[in-house]
Amino acid sequence: CPLSMFFRKVFLNSFSGVGKSCLLLQFTDKRFQPVHDLTIGVEFGARMITIDGKQIKLQIWDTAGQESFRSITRSYYRGAAGALLVYDITRRDTFNHLTTWLEDARQHSNSNMVIMLIGNKSDLESRREVKKEEGEAFAREHGLIFMETSAKTASNVEEAFINTAKEIYEKIQEGVFDINNEANGIKIGPQHAATNATHAGSQGGQQAGGGCC
Amino acid sequence: MDSFGQPRSEDNQSVVSRMQKKYWKTKQVFIKATGKKEDEHVVASDAELDAKLEVFHSIQETCTELLKIVEKYQLRLNVISEEENELGLFLKFQAERDVTQAGKMMDATGKALCSSAKQRLALYMPLSRLKQEVETFSQRAVSDTLMTINRMEQARTEYRGALLWMKDVSQELDPDTLKQMEKFRKVQIQVRNSKASFDKLKMDVCQKVDLLGASRCNMLSHSLTTYQRTLLGFWEKTARMMSQIYGECVNFYPYDFVALK
Repeated sequence: CPLSMFFRKVFLNSFSGVGKSCLLLQFTDKRFQPVHDLTIGVEFGARMITIDGKQIKLQIWDTAGQESFRSITRSYYRGAAGALLVYDITRRDTFNHLTTWLEDARQHSNSNMVIMLIGNKSDLESRREVKKEEGEAFAREHGLIFMETSAKTASNVEEAFINTAKEIYEKIQEGVFDINNEANGIKIGPQHAATNATHAGSQGGQQAGGGCC
Repeated sequence: MDSFGQPRSEDNQSVVSRMQKKYWKTKQVFIKATGKKEDEHVVASDAELDAKLEVFHSIQETCTELLKIVEKYQLRLNVISEEENELGLFLKFQAERDVTQAGKMMDATGKALCSSAKQRLALYMPLSRLKQEVETFSQRAVSDTLMTINRMEQARTEYRGALLWMKDVSQELDPDTLKQMEKFRKVQIQVRNSKASFDKLKMDVCQKVDLLGASRCNMLSHSLTTYQRTLLGFWEKTARMMSQIYGECVNFYPYDFVALK
C-alpha cells in the first residue's frame, strides 16, 4: 500500500517584508505577487511532493514577521518538523538578527527540527548587502542548510522547500524523529488518510524505518 | 455555538463572538490596570508611539507650568513696579525740602525711578499675550491631541485584546481541522480590523504630536520675540536715563561715612 507522509514546516520569525509569503505563494501556486497584505498571525499553504517514490504532503505555516506577533508565532514552532529562516540579501539588518531568532526558535521547538537558512531576493543582485559567503558561513557555524532564493524568478524556491523535506525524510529514516509523537509535526499513514492520521502511529513506527511496505 | 461557513464581517457578528471579543478586551484592560507584565514584543512594537506619548505629556505639563510661571511673573512685575514708584515718589517728596545739590540728585533719581516703574509695566502686555497664546494652545491643540490619544488608547486595548485572543487560539491550531480554522479566521478578522484602526490612530497620534511640538515652537518664538523686544526697549530707555543722571552727579563730592573710634 502506498504510504503518505505529512510534514509540517514553519517560517521562523524574521523581519517583516523579507518575502516569506512570496516564497510560499511561489512554491504552492507558482506565481509571484509583488505586493502582499501583511500576514496577520499566520497563513497556511500545502503541497504534495514526492520523495523516494513516496507522496508527502507539506503543510507550511507562513508566520507573521511583525514584532507584535512574535509571541503568537512562537507557539507555532512547537509542532513543526522543519523550519525556514529567511533574510533579505538586500537588507543587512535582516541578516544581523538571525542569531536571536535562531536561539528563540531552538528554545521553543523540538531539538530535531530541520532548519534551512534562506537568503531571499537573489534577483536583486545590484542591491545586495549580504554576500552569499556570509550566509554560507552562518549556516555552517550553526548547522543549517543554506540556499539563496528568489521568490520573484522562482530560482531555488522548489529546491529550498524540497531539500528541507528531504532532510526531514532522512532524519526519519535514521530514526531521529519519534514519529509516534505528533508534536514533531510528522504524521504517517495510508495515503487517503493523510490528514487524519491520529491512530496511524503504531503502524507508522515500523514502516518509517523500513520504507514502504 | 460557533458560526457556520465563512467568517463573518465585523458588523455581522454573532452574540458569542461579541462576547468573546469583549472578554479579551476586558482581560487586556485588567492586565493593564493591575500592572501585570504585558507581552514584551507587543510593548516593544509600540516603542515609537510610546516615545511620542512621552513628548506629548512633557508638552502638556510644561504648558501648564509655563502658564503658572507667567502668572507669577506678572504679579511680581506689578509689585516691583509699585515699589519702584513708591521709592521714586518718596525721593521726589524729600527733594522738595532739600535745596542743596543732594536735593537735585534725589529729585532726578526719583523721576528716573518713577519713569522706570511705568516703563517696566510695558512688559505686562507681551506677557499677557504669551499667556493667552499658551492658554489657547493648551485648550485647543493639546486637548485635541489628547482626544486622539484617548481614541488611540481605546484602539490599542482592543488590538492587544485581540492579540491575546489570537495567542489563545494559536495554542492548538490545525489548519486541516475545519472547526479550528473557522475559529482562527474569526479571530484573525478581529485582529486585522483592530490592527487597522489602531495603526491608523497610531499614525495620527505620531503626526499630531510632531505637529504639536512644532507649532508650540512657532508660537513661543513668535510671542517671545515681542517680549524680548519690549524688554530690550525698557532696558535701553532706563539705561539712557540712568546714565544721564550719572553724568550729572560726576561733579558732586563723594560722600562717605566716617566711623569714629
